[in-house]
Amino acid sequence: MLGSIKGLKVTLSTMMRKPVTAQYPIANKRLDIKKRFMGFPALLWDDSNSEPYCTGCMVCVRECPTQCMTATMADNKKFSEGKSTRKKIIDSFGINLSRCIVCGICVDVCNFDAIEMSHEHELSKFQRNANRANLKSLLAMGKTFQSKIKWEPIQIKNIGNPDLRERLQAAAKAQSEKINANEGKMDGKPEGSSL
Amino acid sequence: MTWEAIGWYVIGAFGLFIFLSITVMFLTWIERKFLARIQQRMGPMRVGPHGTLQPIADVIKLITKEDILPSWTDKPIYWLAPLAIFIPAIAIWVTIPFSETLVLQNLDLGLLYIAAISVLSVLGLVMAGWGSANKYSMLGGLRAVGQLISYEIPFIMAILGVAILSQSLSLIDIVNDQSAIANIIVQPLGFLIFLAAGLAELGRTPFDIHHAESEVVGGPFVEYSGAHWAIIQLAEYVNTFAIAALIAILFLGGWSWPSMPFTGITNDFLSLVWFLIKIYAVILLIFWIRGTFPRLRIDQLMSFGWKVLVPVSFINIVFTAIIRFYNLHWSILTVISLISIGIIFYLIYKTPQKSRKKDSIRIISAKDAVNNPPKNYGDINVR
Repeated sequence: MLGSIKGLKVTLSTMMRKPVTAQYPIANKRLDIKKRFMGFPALLWDDSNSEPYCTGCMVCVRECPTQCMTATMADNKKFSEGKSTRKKIIDSFGINLSRCIVCGICVDVCNFDAIEMSHEHELSKFQRNANRANLKSLLAMGKTFQSKIKWEPIQIKNIGNPDLRERLQAAAKAQSEKINANEGKMDGKPEGSSL
Repeated sequence: MTWEAIGWYVIGAFGLFIFLSITVMFLTWIERKFLARIQQRMGPMRVGPHGTLQPIADVIKLITKEDILPSWTDKPIYWLAPLAIFIPAIAIWVTIPFSETLVLQNLDLGLLYIAAISVLSVLGLVMAGWGSANKYSMLGGLRAVGQLISYEIPFIMAILGVAILSQSLSLIDIVNDQSAIANIIVQPLGFLIFLAAGLAELGRTPFDIHHAESEVVGGPFVEYSGAHWAIIQLAEYVNTFAIAALIAILFLGGWSWPSMPFTGITNDFLSLVWFLIKIYAVILLIFWIRGTFPRLRIDQLMSFGWKVLVPVSFINIVFTAIIRFYNLHWSILTVISLISIGIIFYLIYKTPQKSRKKDSIRIISAKDAVNNPPKNYGDINVR
């Protein structure tokens, strides 16, 4: 009998607490997405040249386990004008987000750090083909992601692991010397993002 | 009886039905919100502000849903069972007063009428259990009957204690008799008995043995869907509201205790509001109990009913009758009641739980069972 009264007290005290429910789709009431969250892949935007990082090399397309990606490459007009160091640039890119399994292999294999797992994760759409992301929407996703987490291109000097940092610095130095020796006209400065 | 009077009765019954339906919708919302808060959830939040329109959405969904008829059902019984549950639930409300004048028909034997009618809904449960041709629902119906015999005697005995105090079976007389002092103060023991028996009568936790979602998956109502299920559910909540109103009338002094210093229409209106506040307080208590306690087993309910409630309700009646016969002061009954509550709680607290005989259940491995088969498989759990 004393136990019953204790039980009633417990439920009453629980009732006085704040509910723990997060009401999912409502803004301000849903939980925040953590910075490390891995959503669908998105293409990143190079602000210094106003063009995507992606050159359409098709590595991600080849490595994708679900084959949900397509990409085509084009000559970069800005390169001929001398405004960019990229000879080739992405022309069209498509990801079927319904098929993507968010494994992150595309990010791992990318040679230009042009693709990144964004915070996009919602698949509910009103059209059947609405989850086929094209170049435009992928870049938009990437821009949102970049501005949200204040994305910056990876700088070798910012790498936390001292061993790795020194090794990369040495490699970059060697590479730039090699380029300088072979092609004197290029200044050989490696791209900030491509290690 | 003139045609005019009949017309008024029809209008009154219709108004009562509308009132009860709206109340039930409100009660479902309150219950979901209250239980949710007990579990640190929010309950319905989407339909209307804080989910206030959720009951309306539920009603629309239930009415437009298909009524499924399983092929083996006993059709007439299956279709009549919801009515057999629903009609007694509504019929109780004929004589439950909201104020001295706001009652469909005050009966001089109101309490007897209520005690008699409220049992009838168990017939509906049995019909639903039999008609569904489902083992779960049959078990649920049988459990409802088994439950009935253990709570019905204390239920009536608790009512009887109040009737002895007020020397009347009319609910309005009982309320007016309490204008000086409410019965819960005079008879706390009777209140507890009536609360426990009332919960068993409603089939609410901790006595929801015939619903028992985890055992008989909803009991007699397994096969019902759509509007018929809605009617059964309506009857359940109407019964809850009726028991809460009966507790408010019999023990909390209804609208007359404590008496208010107003007159005329103000007094009438405030008494009605006061009465409704009492009813909802009892309902919240019932929901609170539902959110707290686990379900009893049927044998636990039986032993609680027969070993605790029945003797205690006889003690209650005997002492009430003695006090009433010798016209002693009511406070003596309060003291006796409190003392007996203390003694009962102490006895329950001190009674050793029946120790489980360790020898009666031997757990043996399957290998042993093959190699050295026991002579008697009666009480052995093979593992």
